[in-house]
Amino acid sequence: MSGSIQAPAIDARGITRVYKAKPKDVTALAGIDLEVAPGEFFGLLGPNGAGKTTLIKILTTLLLPSAGTARIFGFDVATETRKIRRIMNMVAGGEQSGYGILEAREQLWMFSQFYGLGAREGWRRVDELIDAVGLAEQRNQRVSTLSTGQRQKMNFARGLLNDPWVFFLDEPTLGLDVSAARSVRELIVGWRAAVPGRTVLLTTHYMAEADELCERIAIVDRGRILAIGSPAELKRRVQRESIFRLELDRLAGGPGGLARLPGVVSAVAALNAPADPDAPVRQAVVINLVLREDSALAGVVAALDGLGAHIVALAKSEPSLEDVFVELVGRGFDDNEEAARSNEVPVEPHEAGQPDPEEKR
Amino acid sequence: MIDAGLVEGERFDPGRARGRGTIDLLRSFRTAAALGWKMEANWTDPVLFFIYSVAKPVASALILVFMLQVIAGPAGIALRPFVIVGSALWSFVVSGVAGLAWAVLDDRERYRMLKYIYVSPSSFITILLGRGIARLAVGAMGAGITLAVGVIVLGVPFNLGDIDWLLLAIVLVLGAVTICALAVVMAAVCLQTRQESWDYPEVVVGALFLVVGAVFPLSVLPLPLQAFGLVSPLTWWIAGVRQALFPGGPSSIGGPGSLWQQLAGTLNPSAFEVVVALLLSGAVVTLASAILFRSGEARAKDRGLIDRTTGS
Ligand SMILES: Nc1ncnc2c1ncn2[C@@H]1O[C@H](COP(=O)(O)OP(=O)(O)OP(=O)(O)O)[C@@H](O)[C@H]1O
Ligand SMILES: [Mg+2]
Repeated sequence: MSGSIQAPAIDARGITRVYKAKPKDVTALAGIDLEVAPGEFFGLLGPNGAGKTTLIKILTTLLLPSAGTARIFGFDVATETRKIRRIMNMVAGGEQSGYGILEAREQLWMFSQFYGLGAREGWRRVDELIDAVGLAEQRNQRVSTLSTGQRQKMNFARGLLNDPWVFFLDEPTLGLDVSAARSVRELIVGWRAAVPGRTVLLTTHYMAEADELCERIAIVDRGRILAIGSPAELKRRVQRESIFRLELDRLAGGPGGLARLPGVVSAVAALNAPADPDAPVRQAVVINLVLREDSALAGVVAALDGLGAHIVALAKSEPSLEDVFVELVGRGFDDNEEAARSNEVPVEPHEAGQPDPEEKR
Repeated sequence: MIDAGLVEGERFDPGRARGRGTIDLLRSFRTAAALGWKMEANWTDPVLFFIYSVAKPVASALILVFMLQVIAGPAGIALRPFVIVGSALWSFVVSGVAGLAWAVLDDRERYRMLKYIYVSPSSFITILLGRGIARLAVGAMGAGITLAVGVIVLGVPFNLGDIDWLLLAIVLVLGAVTICALAVVMAAVCLQTRQESWDYPEVVVGALFLVVGAVFPLSVLPLPLQAFGLVSPLTWWIAGVRQALFPGGPSSIGGPGSLWQQLAGTLNPSAFEVVVALLLSGAVVTLASAILFRSGEARAKDRGLIDRTTGS
């Protein structure tokens, strides 16, 4: 079978990968079935060691699967590598890569030649991409003098040299600071939106990143896909009750009075943590309200008047992907990586996949 | 944010999955060689460049010459051309064979670019050879300067008119191919390693040094080692260059009591015999290297070693 633009961008069937290792062999992937349509923004979300990088390596022809087949736009990763390499590209994060001695522009031009562009066409394309990724000022700087974020932008420029049909991104914002991570994300989104059909497969262990960028997500753990769906679909799976965050000016008698109302599962005082830390401290009472269904809210609102309380704010709390993960695996996502995180460049609290539920207004 | 220049049309062009064959190969080779030259030669640090590419080969040649002087006395002077040529060529072999292997290790461990090279549609081996040629060029400079020092400083008798240019041209071309083939084998081996293996190439090449007649004739070696020397293309290459530069000078292959004499019946191989032996042994090594590289690459890909780094 040969490739075509009608074929799925990614079509993996029963991909298994076992690494031969010292004490005993490691099964990094234990039967992955995955289909990504052309034009999709697809995310692989999973904790450290889930097998995300292994899957990307197989799909990008860096590594052979132990069993199973995978096709990129119909081309087999094991036998049609050259064709796949022309229409895909990859960028990995969290690494300091580059030929330090070359200038940024030179290194990119070198790759443009490896991608079969003509000499002059190569320079034109490189300059275009350097501007697009925001490295104009560094174009003639030695690679060794670029910052981590600038190197990653250069890496993106390399990845876009062949204008890939499918772009594989392995934790592309790992180790970047807040603003560099944001500009990398904007870059990805902007690139994909420019031409319909451009496909992205992104791995990440930042919940918020997956949530923000991906149209569909596969949650992976220990080499298996536990669930696939849009972020909203995945969250809906764990949402059996309605959770509200209720902020009142005061509440005589505490939240106990609310808990006894019909349709209310629980009403518990939350830590008073206003969304904006710079806001003046208010004497507000914040209550996490769990209802059997949304309609029970009416009774609560009616009862508040009798308790002499006024609503300052009311928001429905959505479950986060973290909640989905906990539900699926029975353990937290970041359980074993807090130590690693503390050595890293600080990331946005938003991005760090904080366990508290994210609120949507 | 991404300008319109990136937009190449609404639909993908299925022809994109096809390449342009030889044009692509040549382009990759040329680029890898040119930028490889810039990287390998390390122009930014001329002192380091001088030490590794010029001072080191010259110094090792001089050490050998003076050792010869001490051991053999005045008789050693007659052997100087032998030692100088062998030593100069040897530095060329080292920088060629070890150079390509180091390019692989550098790309994987230091620059962490090997995987990006690998997933480009370009031929992997072509890019590696381009890098290797750059190292060979650096090695050729060192060899040339060593020869020049031998002639100018040590007064090695050298006459441009005596040189057998045809023989020289033939053996240089065949020799370069052979060295590249050996380098490719070394690169395939280094691709397999999981731990630091920067020393491997020099150790392997150093072992060869003893059996290919670089600085002393094969006839001083035990017969099994002589046999090994006779099947090695490097032996014939060095002998060929010697014969071309100093026709009628001492040979590293034959001589009284040598294995060559026992097998062939003549004291020394003729120029023709040297070329034929180089051609045959070189062809075998080149063929073997192609097979070894293919299987080495497949093994590395199967084991996930292409982007392996020892540090992480
Ligand atoms: N070359 C290798 N040899 C042996 N085991 C390996 C090798 N590469 C990966 N593994 C193992 O395979 C499993 C999956 O690793 P992989 O790198 O794919 O995970 P990941 O999801 O990318 O994790 P992370 O978020 O930490 O990047 C891990 O248990 C890892 O230890
Ligand atoms: Mg990973």
